[in-house]
Amino acid sequence: MLYVELIAQGLIQGSIYALIALGLTLVYGLLRILHVAHAAFFTLGGYVGVMVANQTGSLAAAIVAAMIVAGIGGILVFRLCYQPILHQPPFVPLIASIGLYIAAEELFRIVFGPSGLTYKYAFLQGQVIAFGSLRFKEAEIAVMLGSAAIIGVLSLLQTRTRIGVACQATVSDPQMAESFGISLRKVGDINFFVGSALAAFAGVMVSVLNNMVEPTMGSVPSYKALAIIVLGGLGSVRGTLVAALVLGVVESFGTIYLGHFLDRNAIAFAFLILVLMWRPQGLFARS
Amino acid sequence: MEYEISLATTMAISVLFALSLNLITGFCGQISLGHAAFLGVGAYASGMLAKAGVPFLLTLPLAMLLSGALGIVVGFASLRVRADFLAITTMGVGFLFVGIVRQQDALGGEMGISAIPDTGMSKLAFMLLAVAMAAAAGLLSTYVRRCWMGRVFAAIAEDEDTVRVMGIDVPRFKLTAFALGTALAGLAGGLYAQHLKFIAPDSFGFIESITVLSMVVVGGIGSVVGVSVSAAVLSVLPSWFQVIGDYKLLVYGGLLFLMMRFSPGGMAALVARIFHPDRWGSK
Amino acid sequence: MSALLSVGAITVRFDGVTAISGASFEVKQGELLGLIGPNGAGKTTMLRVITGVVRQSSGTVLLEGRPLDGLPTHLRIRRGLALSQQIVRPFRDMSVIDNVALAAGADKTTSPVKALFRTGRERELKIGHQLLSRLGIERQANESPQIQPMGILKRLELARALALEPRLLLLDEPLAGLNSKEARLLADTITEINRSGTTIILIEHNLGEVLRVCSRLVVLDNGVKIADGEPEAVMNDATVRAAYLGTGAAAQSGGQHAAA
Repeated sequence: MLYVELIAQGLIQGSIYALIALGLTLVYGLLRILHVAHAAFFTLGGYVGVMVANQTGSLAAAIVAAMIVAGIGGILVFRLCYQPILHQPPFVPLIASIGLYIAAEELFRIVFGPSGLTYKYAFLQGQVIAFGSLRFKEAEIAVMLGSAAIIGVLSLLQTRTRIGVACQATVSDPQMAESFGISLRKVGDINFFVGSALAAFAGVMVSVLNNMVEPTMGSVPSYKALAIIVLGGLGSVRGTLVAALVLGVVESFGTIYLGHFLDRNAIAFAFLILVLMWRPQGLFARS
Repeated sequence: MEYEISLATTMAISVLFALSLNLITGFCGQISLGHAAFLGVGAYASGMLAKAGVPFLLTLPLAMLLSGALGIVVGFASLRVRADFLAITTMGVGFLFVGIVRQQDALGGEMGISAIPDTGMSKLAFMLLAVAMAAAAGLLSTYVRRCWMGRVFAAIAEDEDTVRVMGIDVPRFKLTAFALGTALAGLAGGLYAQHLKFIAPDSFGFIESITVLSMVVVGGIGSVVGVSVSAAVLSVLPSWFQVIGDYKLLVYGGLLFLMMRFSPGGMAALVARIFHPDRWGSK
Repeated sequence: MSALLSVGAITVRFDGVTAISGASFEVKQGELLGLIGPNGAGKTTMLRVITGVVRQSSGTVLLEGRPLDGLPTHLRIRRGLALSQQIVRPFRDMSVIDNVALAAGADKTTSPVKALFRTGRERELKIGHQLLSRLGIERQANESPQIQPMGILKRLELARALALEPRLLLLDEPLAGLNSKEARLLADTITEINRSGTTIILIEHNLGEVLRVCSRLVVLDNGVKIADGEPEAVMNDATVRAAYLGTGAAAQSGGQHAAA
């Protein structure tokens, strides 16, 4: 039963990672940028979520508001921060992005205070019993179902709509797509909007799960998400999803069996380094 | 006077540390987001050895040796993975270092090591030692750039595949850059441990790695003078302006972003652009 | 004349696709050999097998009778190969002369330790200037490659390869991207380099220039060697015409335009 529980916990954590990492993959596929500042939208989502929920009492309103605000923020970051430096060597946008993230985290701390905010209402805090005797929080179930639903809808949009197909084409070969008249800028806007909105959704769900938001809540997921997209082969959406779930499970087992020797982050990165030494292009390299 | 001496020591250690990263990232073009781990290796090695009774001055070369040896191991990773993959791998090395040290009781775990025995040197003498080491690193960097190794490094930084078809053993040169850079970081770590008398895992985490990278980037990747000046200034900025102490990271983050957004060549390029607007080298 | 390079039954497979299958040919000392074939014939892959960038699935490459198989690229270069790449890749942060001098300093860059204790480069600069004037780009010596037109960059790429003092020079489409006058001039330079003693393999799509300067041709098509011999005889070969024009066209037109 312990195994089942560890796998379940790993999958819950993994689906949160997946939501965050998907945005990073969309951005990387399009611009070849490691968008570290992406995690700021996870945090932003949490803050907007708490504030809207506390004002309106509605979690749905909080989720929608968080996703829209973060989505627009994502477009602004794309246009103002990345677009002007795309022609520079890759470390330039990478370091710019790290700088942006650090500054953003500090802004959250300065504006909202270091100790964070909590929910006035209890959302999804009930217990659900599944698989015999395993207990889950409603919020945990919601995270899993929510991310599965969102990712499902996204993949439908991606294959069934014109704009979705255009985005997909651009991500797999930006130059080719541009020569077919697809606007890189428009696809960039969409990718940043969708990616940041997904991160914001994850931010709201995590804040509900922990009943709190704090300035640093994005830092660990941010670095983990980078590890995940690298594991997934950089730019491969399918690879990212699998890598996120695998990492979640590896961590939940690792903390039990290796916890006395390595902390949770070290387990994640030890796994990453081992995989990269074995397959330098990640688990699911695209050709 | 005591305060100024301590400040000067901090500056010298930061300059040494930043120059060590500049050898790897600036000269040889291998990005590292986990360089603080090597400062940590040097600090822990020197601190533990001093506590075991080894004379301070002897702990420094040992710290360099251990740090450089681990640097070569990480360097091997740089032979397997490139660019973005290398950035994330080195970031992983940083997290791995902190994660391992934190769980080891022998290394003081979460609490770190305190009460590192006195060096037997006066504060002034220790400062002079740190300044001398930083100056030596500066001279070494300047020399490296002017010798054939530096020329090969510069070429590798730009296009390692082409260097390979010029008959040059790229892996060995890369490993040399890692060995030199991480050994110098180990030296900086040894001085750091003795300067503060207390070290803990969190002093060598991701933020510290980014801080040193920001010193290099703000100074101008590859520029010895630029990197030295920016490391000296950025390391004491928080202590000079007590007001910004609380906003230290906001300033770091903001500077890093603005520099990359508006002058990717750092201060060195900014200065070059102002004084030699028509020189071809300044982009 | 003995064989400087001999390529024996090379086969290359990527993910189940066969890029080269069982191709063999020899390059004799002092030759200027044209390696030609339609797009996707496997010419560049063959060059990469020789330089060790791509590993063959089977077969062997001998330089002066000694196998190169398994050696990393840089050691093959040290054995006497040099490559001028199809897409020019000068170091853009160095001046034109610095690019050539770096290659000319090969004996100072054999190991990091040696490179650390050598600083002077008068000899390399001298060699560099000689090569630049031989290739007619001495005037650009102290300029940045970033501002040079393609014609100059192609010559820089060649100068840098020559600075390695190769016994066998591999040229991957040196004429691509040049206008017909520039192409003719560079082809003359290549002939001159060959006459002064450097053996050359030339991969080139400009058949007019290839027929004018090469002493022998090897033709690849779909990874298979389909012809090997005197340029005229090769171009009159029915299989070669078919490869270039498509089977139907060759049968109808009699291959009159094969050399166009």
